[in-house]
Amino acid sequence: MSHVVTLEAVTKKYGELVALDNVSLGFPQGRFVAVMGPSGSGKSTLIQCAAALDQPTSGSVTIGGVDVGSLNETKRTILRREHVGFVFQSYNLLPAITVEENLTLSLRLAGKRPDRAWIGELVERVGLQDRLRHRPAELSGGQQQRAAIVRALAGRPDVVFADEPTGALDLRSAAQVLDLLRGLVDDLGQTVVMVTHDPAAAARAHDALVMADGKVVDVLAEPSAEDLAARLTQLARGGLAVHAVGGVR
Amino acid sequence: MSGLGGLVVAFFAVFGGMALITGTGVIIESGLRSNISGQRLVHADVLVSAPQSLAQEGDLPVALPERAVVPSELAGELARLDGVASATGDVTFPATPLGDQKGDAAGAGHGWASAALAGGKLVSGRAPRAADEVVVPKGLAVRQGTSVEIVAGGRRGEYQVTGVVNAPDLYFADSTAAELAGRTGGPRADTVDLIALRAAPGTDPATLAEAVQREVGERYEVRTGPAKGDAESPGTAAARGMLIALPSSISGISMLIVGFVVGGGISLSITRQRRDLALLRAAGATPRQVRKLVGVQGMTAAVAALLPGAAAGYYLAAHFGDLLIHLGLLPQELPLTYSPIPAAAAALVLLGVVRLSAWAASISASKMPAVAAVRDAQSEPRQPSAVRFNSGLLIILAAMGLSTMPLFLRGEVAILGPSLGGLLSVIGLALAGPKLVQKATGLLVRMLPARVSPPLWLAVSNTHGYALRTAGAVAALGMVITLGTSNALTHTTVMRATADETARTLRADAVITAPAYGGIPRDLLGEVRALPGVTSAVTASTTTVIGRGLALGDGAESAMARSAMVLGPEARGLVDLGVTKGSLADLKGPSIAIDERSGAVGEHRDLVLGDGAKVRARVVATYSRALGLGPVVLARDLVAGHTTTDLDSTVFVRTADPSALNKLDKRWPALSVASAATSPQAGETSAQLWINIAVLAVLLGYVLVSVANRLVATTAARGTELTAIRRLGATPGQIRSMIRWEALLIALTASVAGLLMSAVPLMFLSIGFLGRPWPAGPLWLAPAAVAVVCAVVGLAYDLPARRLVRRSERVA
Repeated sequence: MSHVVTLEAVTKKYGELVALDNVSLGFPQGRFVAVMGPSGSGKSTLIQCAAALDQPTSGSVTIGGVDVGSLNETKRTILRREHVGFVFQSYNLLPAITVEENLTLSLRLAGKRPDRAWIGELVERVGLQDRLRHRPAELSGGQQQRAAIVRALAGRPDVVFADEPTGALDLRSAAQVLDLLRGLVDDLGQTVVMVTHDPAAAARAHDALVMADGKVVDVLAEPSAEDLAARLTQLARGGLAVHAVGGVR
Repeated sequence: MSGLGGLVVAFFAVFGGMALITGTGVIIESGLRSNISGQRLVHADVLVSAPQSLAQEGDLPVALPERAVVPSELAGELARLDGVASATGDVTFPATPLGDQKGDAAGAGHGWASAALAGGKLVSGRAPRAADEVVVPKGLAVRQGTSVEIVAGGRRGEYQVTGVVNAPDLYFADSTAAELAGRTGGPRADTVDLIALRAAPGTDPATLAEAVQREVGERYEVRTGPAKGDAESPGTAAARGMLIALPSSISGISMLIVGFVVGGGISLSITRQRRDLALLRAAGATPRQVRKLVGVQGMTAAVAALLPGAAAGYYLAAHFGDLLIHLGLLPQELPLTYSPIPAAAAALVLLGVVRLSAWAASISASKMPAVAAVRDAQSEPRQPSAVRFNSGLLIILAAMGLSTMPLFLRGEVAILGPSLGGLLSVIGLALAGPKLVQKATGLLVRMLPARVSPPLWLAVSNTHGYALRTAGAVAALGMVITLGTSNALTHTTVMRATADETARTLRADAVITAPAYGGIPRDLLGEVRALPGVTSAVTASTTTVIGRGLALGDGAESAMARSAMVLGPEARGLVDLGVTKGSLADLKGPSIAIDERSGAVGEHRDLVLGDGAKVRARVVATYSRALGLGPVVLARDLVAGHTTTDLDSTVFVRTADPSALNKLDKRWPALSVASAATSPQAGETSAQLWINIAVLAVLLGYVLVSVANRLVATTAARGTELTAIRRLGATPGQIRSMIRWEALLIALTASVAGLLMSAVPLMFLSIGFLGRPWPAGPLWLAPAAVAVVCAVVGLAYDLPARRLVRRSERVA
């Protein structure tokens, strides 16, 4: 199975603090991967580096076969908008423009003509057909996050990174968003990497990476919420039992 | 950090407001109670003079600039009072050696009796006794025992120098002085300018003054100490009225601007803190506590700005005073008064404005439910209210209606229309702005071609989506352009119309003035008429007249002082006022001619002349050209004996050979001959133009700095937004380009709006005054104002945006 994004010995330091400690892994195509771990374990840093939003201190990140480290900021931005979609905890919809304009914003910035049929299909899938002309502020949190997911997918990226996409949502909306993400992977073969600290959310993924202290300490395939919860509790108590380090093979 | 940016804006707003109000206060206070410096009669203890102001009901008294006289026998009466060592009648008249340098200021002459009061002692020689004797000041290059030609009281004569005195001015024998000052016959027979008293040894001047005041009652004014200057020079004292009138004409604009800027600054600093305040509310703070916190923060910034602002205000006032003196509007002898009162008053006003605007701005933030407060803080774009939009539109419409005034009324008063119109439309723009911006940019968004560059599209969408934010900047910048162009061009347009009409009115080929002689010498007119080529020559002067309903738009109740031209019946051939009824040939005896729109021939008008004399004059002519020479012309006979010098100021000459006038130079070296005739008001108008430009420059500079401050603060607070766009795939270059487009859009919108707001009133004004739709004057002002606004907006956006983009590269 080919890897959409590969990390090779990636270390990220913020001053003295080591957020990522020599991590090597690849994200396989067409899989829904959850990244879990306690606060400060480095999971957000991991996907920010993997999505080329941030530069690692050392090591290399390859997206679509291109080494990100060799690019300047502008080229990196262009690479990112070609290959990567991003979903944020705080939605990041621009309040000044309509929902519809938000959906095509990344494409517009890339100077690409949006694929209307594709976007229409996505909009129908998330059920926002009659909210397109509204401003983001007029939508509920769940609707905003669903719009953000359509935006992330609008350019048919190789991979979608989602950073705590359900963190600001109520249970029902969160469940809808998770169903949506899982459906995208199962029906459309989309690659999705999601950071979450919620075992129930992670349980919807194909694989779960568990992180602690800047390292990937565990990889669970088809995890159950109970297993994940137990694992996290264990980590929180400090009882580190490193099962496997490396990646999802 | 975000709160700090807002407080900096508030600080600068209050600082500037404090400086402006304090400065204005200093000018007003000086107008009320500054003392004339450099007194002449330093050895007199008490001065008694006629009142030099006209009390008005419900208004400030009008200052009388022409000397009001005192009967000379009063000196004898006062000399008999207890505690009076001596009582001397004093007169002042223009007296200048014939060959003196051409200059503006005439020398002065007095009777010898005044010399001792002025501290003058003979350095050599003896006092003047005969009618042709004079004592000269030390500095004059004339030796004792020689003879000197002097033009005194408009009469040229040869005088023997009998002595040299160590005081300025020329001294004549007392009887000669009375004659030269015109006190031996005519309306001012047996009078003096003032009576100077010396207190007997052991008598306190203040006590003496009280006794004298009891003796003379209300008829005369009794002064001691620094106030004596007012009795010596009523013309200088009258200039004080200008110090009050000037700021009151601009205080409307400046208070509006200060309120606008300070209110805006405070509300911005509070909006910046919306989120913090919301969190505070969520943490359990009551609305009252939140309002209090906001109030305290705003007050802290305001209080910190008070002292430096006051200092800047005194500094500004001093420079303004220098400018007034430089322009000749303020006599050098009238220095500004500096006391803490203006600063204290300004502080009170500003703290009031700050409190009010802090309260108004915090009311919505503090009242909403805590949860809503948090949510509202995040969704910044708000919908502009319809009421606000409609009232703004109504105000703009009303303003445009007002500015059509010059189409129907051609006169000074019509200027009010466009200037008020400009001011009102600025307020209207501020109200209607958000919705207007929303509609205009909405149209632009729809009209933009699909393939337009993404940064431009984003910039247009942002100005559209954040209509309130955009409109705030647009209104403030539009105000700069409107006030800047319309104020200056209104003045220049009216000036041009006045000059044009003056040229049509005065059919003179040459204009002779003699300020160095204090006025036109009495023999000069005959000499001019005898010159070859001269077909006619008439004299004229200007004085002040006070009356009701003299000009179009004057209220019927309050009497207005205005400067008026004085002409004789012979003026008819040379002065073409566009007489509609009656004739200038009847300008004899107690008569006047007035603007056809404010009276009719045969009416009688009660007037007060410049020295306070109450007269009744018959209207003998009405005329249409009121703009050039003003709305009222007085007969020379009416004014005779009621001006300080009793001399004409100008000779208008019609001649086939203007060069022949140069022959006059030999006989009267200090004359000045000009070819173009200017209106008596021309000098005043151009000085007012400069004052206006200076004041406006300061005001608009204040607005610009405060707008720039606000733009910097709002742009710097857009970090989250810019980071979000970066994350969605915008390159740093695209962000910078977007910001630049936004700046350009705002600057251009403001320019278009501002120019429109000023163009419409100016068009009506120009049609009314010049008969063409464009104004006279420096039209480059418009592009210059636009350029300044573009530069300020560009900088205010670019500098913080650069920093944000650099930061977003690191943490994107």
